[in-house]
Amino acid sequence: MRRGVVWTLGADRPGIAAAITGPLLELGVNLEDCSMTILSGQFAMVLVVELPDGVEIAALEAALAAPAARLELGLAVRAISEPTPSLGAGAHCVVSVYGTDHPGIVHRFVTLLADAQVNITDLATRVIGESDDPVYAMVLEVTLPTDLELEDLRERLGALAADVGVDASIRPADADVL
Amino acid sequence: MAVLPVLCLPHPVLKAVTRPVGVIDDAARALATDLLETMQASPACVGLAANQVGSTRRAFCVDVTGHKKAVSCHGAFVLFDPKLLVARAPQTAREGCMSVPDLTGNVARATEIVVAGTTPEGTERVIEADAFEARAILHELDHLDGFLFLDRVTSVGDVFQRVKYR
Repeated sequence: MRRGVVWTLGADRPGIAAAITGPLLELGVNLEDCSMTILSGQFAMVLVVELPDGVEIAALEAALAAPAARLELGLAVRAISEPTPSLGAGAHCVVSVYGTDHPGIVHRFVTLLADAQVNITDLATRVIGESDDPVYAMVLEVTLPTDLELEDLRERLGALAADVGVDASIRPADADVL
Repeated sequence: MAVLPVLCLPHPVLKAVTRPVGVIDDAARALATDLLETMQASPACVGLAANQVGSTRRAFCVDVTGHKKAVSCHGAFVLFDPKLLVARAPQTAREGCMSVPDLTGNVARATEIVVAGTTPEGTERVIEADAFEARAILHELDHLDGFLFLDRVTSVGDVFQRVKYR
């Protein structure tokens, strides 16, 4: 099976998903997996697709060029390999980070996680509060490597939080929190 | 007695672990009155912890009177040095916090609890609460240990819905 990924980004408006999926249907391309989200008014869409025999990535890209141009969307189409087993078989956890907004919060935390071989599976952020004292709030879902204990990571996150000047907490994703 | 400003993130007192009150003195009674007056002056507020109004003493107030999700209802009350004796039957529901602007989160909390503490009159009181009143009390108990609902969520989607409708 040959697979591809279609990525678009552009100012949110009705009809983007319809305009992109229409040509896929006409080509007989199967949608395997989709994610669509709005970030500050920008509609971002990622589609993993299965290509039928006789349809190449170039044909897919050509078919999507016109609707993407009409809707002023950024467009990328790539071939991708077979799915690989997801990384990290250790504990699934959720990390919350929040504190006074300043540059570098995301980078410092994701770098710590990368150095610890922790895989990020989801991440979202928002700036909240008053504009004169904004607070940055970030929540991440992560998978620990099997040889990393939760308490060890909690200590490292706590030390980094103190250094960055924010608060951070981590807990198992599947726990009953009481 | 006063209506106090409710502190928001990133104020550090929200992350402070509050200290026991012990014997109820004039300052503690004044804190109880301030908590109640501040709660009652804040629209839709069903509870406040002492550190939300800048105190590091271990106290909270709750009042779920008239709330549509409430089953048990003990009216407006203040407890000092509260201890959670029983917590069971967790359920997930969405909650917000006056100290965390703009966000709400899905948090699992016990729906049947027993909490004991000292009243402003200095007597011991045991409260059995359920449903929304239990959630409100547990939310305030978390505050007293420096925990916000953001520290309790168990997925990204618990806080950040994909689309923010205005």
